[in-house]
Amino acid sequence: MEEQKNISAAQAQQPQPAQKPPSCRGAGLWLKIVAGLYVLSLAAAFAVINRTDAARKTMSSDMDISKITGIGQVKKNAVAVVELYGVISQGSSSRSWERGSQQLAERIKTLSGKKEVKAIVLDINTPGGSVGAVQEIYSAIKRAKAETKKPFIARFGDVSASGGYYVASACDLIVAHPGTITGSIGVIFSVSNFEGLMKKVGFRNEVVKSGKFKDMGSPMREMTQEERKMLQAMIDDSYEQFVAAVSEGRKMPVEKVKLLADGRIYTGRQAKDVGLVDRLGDLQDAVDAAGEMSGLGRNPRVLTDTDPLDSLLSLMESRISLFTSVAAAASLEIGPRLEYRWYGH
Amino acid sequence: MNLFRTLELLLENPAAFLSGEKPSGLGRAGLAGYFAGTLGLFAYLRIFSAVPPGFASFAVVLMLVLAANFCFSAVMHLFLDLTGAQGSASRLFLVFGVTDFLLALLVPLAFFAKLGYINAFLALCLCLILAVYFRVRVVRGLYPVSSNKALLAVCLPYAGFTAVFFAGFIYSIAWLVWLAV
Repeated sequence: MEEQKNISAAQAQQPQPAQKPPSCRGAGLWLKIVAGLYVLSLAAAFAVINRTDAARKTMSSDMDISKITGIGQVKKNAVAVVELYGVISQGSSSRSWERGSQQLAERIKTLSGKKEVKAIVLDINTPGGSVGAVQEIYSAIKRAKAETKKPFIARFGDVSASGGYYVASACDLIVAHPGTITGSIGVIFSVSNFEGLMKKVGFRNEVVKSGKFKDMGSPMREMTQEERKMLQAMIDDSYEQFVAAVSEGRKMPVEKVKLLADGRIYTGRQAKDVGLVDRLGDLQDAVDAAGEMSGLGRNPRVLTDTDPLDSLLSLMESRISLFTSVAAAASLEIGPRLEYRWYGH
Repeated sequence: MNLFRTLELLLENPAAFLSGEKPSGLGRAGLAGYFAGTLGLFAYLRIFSAVPPGFASFAVVLMLVLAANFCFSAVMHLFLDLTGAQGSASRLFLVFGVTDFLLALLVPLAFFAKLGYINAFLALCLCLILAVYFRVRVVRGLYPVSSNKALLAVCLPYAGFTAVFFAGFIYSIAWLVWLAV
């Protein structure tokens, strides 16, 4: 008995285990219910979203009104107008807003690949430009024509000479104003000679070269007869390419083209008389002709290739260049180059 | 620690839970909160076709939410620290994640908004106000500050962001006018 008393006294003296904090089972249960509801609502939301997306996709492919009635098709189809303004040169491929030959070739490719574009009008107002850049646009038109069989119409504005005419020769129809300046079929390579000026100011240019023709076309010395012959051969070759392009595009014998291609310029009316232009008219006439050739009829819907973002970037660059020396450097560029260009503009 | 247990403790007594040396499970709960909240926000935006579908789209939204909260909690901590209130910036970031669980409410609210029972923008505002309210509460739990100062600290980055946005907007309009004229 005594022992039992001692044990119970010891038990009574032992510290009682600490009280557990009040369990918040209620909150835990509610949290689990909320989490379950959340998962359910998410599943329902994504099911609804998926069904909506699927319905939208089906609607766009199967419920295209133009495929059913043909009414929408008339509204949708269009003639695209691509502007080719200013001296033609190679643009930087990384600057989509520039109007260089690469960008124009890309636009021609993109527009000709669009289903709704049934014909393309090239609005040309250029005195030409460097040989490579002109040929890049020319080959883009030829490729697009071969791949899509869509008609291309050239429209001449104020001036469409030399390289401008080269590009137009790839088109199926050429429309010009009666007073448009065109022609100037030929090639030019010009180089300035500063030798006399340099002597006067006491400036001497030292050249170390690997071959005797390495500094051919240098503005610091007189051109040699041998160099002149080589350059003439290059110009003749480029000229032959120009003549061949015009002959092929205009379906005119090479001999006849050569008679017209002595570098002279023509008015639109004169050009029509000699067969370099098909019709006299303005941009609307060219668009109407494109509509008729593509089966859209007169006065079709016109799609311009101007991208608002590109326009904004171009505007920004032109403003920013006012503060830099880029514009001045570009305007002073005097490096010799082979050009399909009319310098009277 | 179990995620639900962490949330239970945080709901029961936020001040006591956050004042601990290293609140167990807070990191997991915070990140889970960001994930669940962003998923709710993404579902809400998808219901109204405001974001493109796909995992990449969700990942972009999640990254934006994480980046914004990271910056906001840093700014709040800086403000509180400069005004003499000591606390932990990382803990603040994680607790904000826990408050983002409230954005899960956007999913059912989006359904109601779609059915026309509630305005969609109002639903979004409601969730954001709730999140801000709970953020003020947890800031008070983490830092020894008054409610007004906690509210000021929470609202400060939002106000700053809005001010910068409007300044940029006005400047870009002025620049566009200069470009066009």
